[in-house]
Amino acid sequence: MALRIVVVGGGAAGIGAAGTAHQLAPDASVTVYTEFEDVGYSPCGIPYVHGKEIPKFENLFLQDKAFYEQMGLDIHYETRVSSFDLANQKVTVEGEGEVPYDKLVIATGFNYKDPGVPGTDLEGLYYVKNIRQAMEWDKILDDVKKAVVVEASPLGLEMVTALAHRGIETHLVDPHPWALAEVGDPDIMKPVMDSWTEMGVQQHYNTKVEAFLGEGKVRAIQTNEGELECDLAVICTHKEPNNRLAREAGLEIGSTGGIIVDQRMATSKPNVYAAGDCNELPHGITKIPIQGLSGSHAYSQGKVAGTNAGGGDRVYQPVYVPWGMVAGKWMIGGVSFGETLANALGIPFVAGVAQGISRARYYPDMKPVRVKLLAEPGTLKLIGAQLVGGEGIKERCDFLAVAAKTGVTLKDLATMENVYSPPIGALNEPIAMAAQNGLASLKKS
Amino acid sequence: MGFFEWVRTNSEHYLMEASQREMAKKYLGTEPPVIGATVKDIFFRRLFVPIYRLLPYGVRRMVMMAMPGSHKREWGGRQKPS
Repeated sequence: MALRIVVVGGGAAGIGAAGTAHQLAPDASVTVYTEFEDVGYSPCGIPYVHGKEIPKFENLFLQDKAFYEQMGLDIHYETRVSSFDLANQKVTVEGEGEVPYDKLVIATGFNYKDPGVPGTDLEGLYYVKNIRQAMEWDKILDDVKKAVVVEASPLGLEMVTALAHRGIETHLVDPHPWALAEVGDPDIMKPVMDSWTEMGVQQHYNTKVEAFLGEGKVRAIQTNEGELECDLAVICTHKEPNNRLAREAGLEIGSTGGIIVDQRMATSKPNVYAAGDCNELPHGITKIPIQGLSGSHAYSQGKVAGTNAGGGDRVYQPVYVPWGMVAGKWMIGGVSFGETLANALGIPFVAGVAQGISRARYYPDMKPVRVKLLAEPGTLKLIGAQLVGGEGIKERCDFLAVAAKTGVTLKDLATMENVYSPPIGALNEPIAMAAQNGLASLKKS
Repeated sequence: MGFFEWVRTNSEHYLMEASQREMAKKYLGTEPPVIGATVKDIFFRRLFVPIYRLLPYGVRRMVMMAMPGSHKREWGGRQKPS
């Protein structure tokens, strides 16, 4: 009998797993269950359609349904899996009954944390996730005069920027003292917050949502600082692993709430893999598990899970977490630790900071680039970075993640070679300048 | 939420709050976090955070590594290119 591979979840991890398993084991039956209407699109692009940077939602689809059908994947859309029976290697599918598997890949993704206040059942609360719902919300946005974004998470930053671009009066309510305060350092986030002010965004930090108010539909948000009227609330709370079924089935769960996996994405039960936002992975520097990474992480993990489910042998590695985004009029990004997080965890570090430029100073549209590097005292190995600038942030973060992974030191970075070409790079590379400043401050101390 | 999730969630929250307070002092113009005054707030802020910070990094790390998680499984291999 052909190998039966069941994938639960049709996001980046699920489709990555299914496609890879099918490539590796073309004779296997690969069945994907998703509760949504589509697979194979980029939900990360939704804020940019709302912000009108991308003209239409259809552009976010990578492939149509016929492509997957021709490929040989059996995708069951709008189909909910209600339980896993791991002892008997079956899943229960609503409307289909029990479905046996030889290998199971769990890729159930995330849910937004429940705000935990009265009024979450009102209409007008938007959770950005499903593209079909986003299409409907986009029509509603045409009539929205005033919106509140709840929490300055990465998605919150994108949605604030998108709604402001769209000309909607936008309020940001966040319980922390500055935007993205659990990840970004205040000096990195300040230009973003200032640019939002320029764009007309009203920011309410250290402010907690106490209730959503309205009759049937939200008309205001009650906070500890007073009432904020609104036509729409975009809920951008923390992402939590969607692993209710995994918990109920007895899979081991870690301290992050994510499913425990090894380097092959294998869970605590035989023939069961987990990939993407529902699991947790060790951090490359501390080795302590973390959870809730990017779509690129989810897709890569899916490919590893799919390879191993399909009879191959592939491993994933601890993560160094390069991240980046456009927020307000700036690009921000980082690798592993910023100052705030390293200080919170008590991880010792030395830092070097520099303000450089993205192109030759005389070249049109030259942008500032601020780089902060964190290194381990003694060895001076890179353990983190944060950047804010007008361009070239993503590429620097990708490079610095590899640098951290391979043990590159501040000394290496201080003497790095760099591309110099007036339209694309300045004489002095901001990363090298930050490393040089870090070494200079060590000599002084 | 299991016990270890509860411990981690609260530890991270109050350690981050303390760090944000220090960052606010370092970066002028930055607001410090608003702090609560429940029994849990007081326990974590006045007992947990100071004790955590008194411990040597090696001890703190040992405690963190003792918690259940993916790090206790095999993670030594090299990624093969796709």
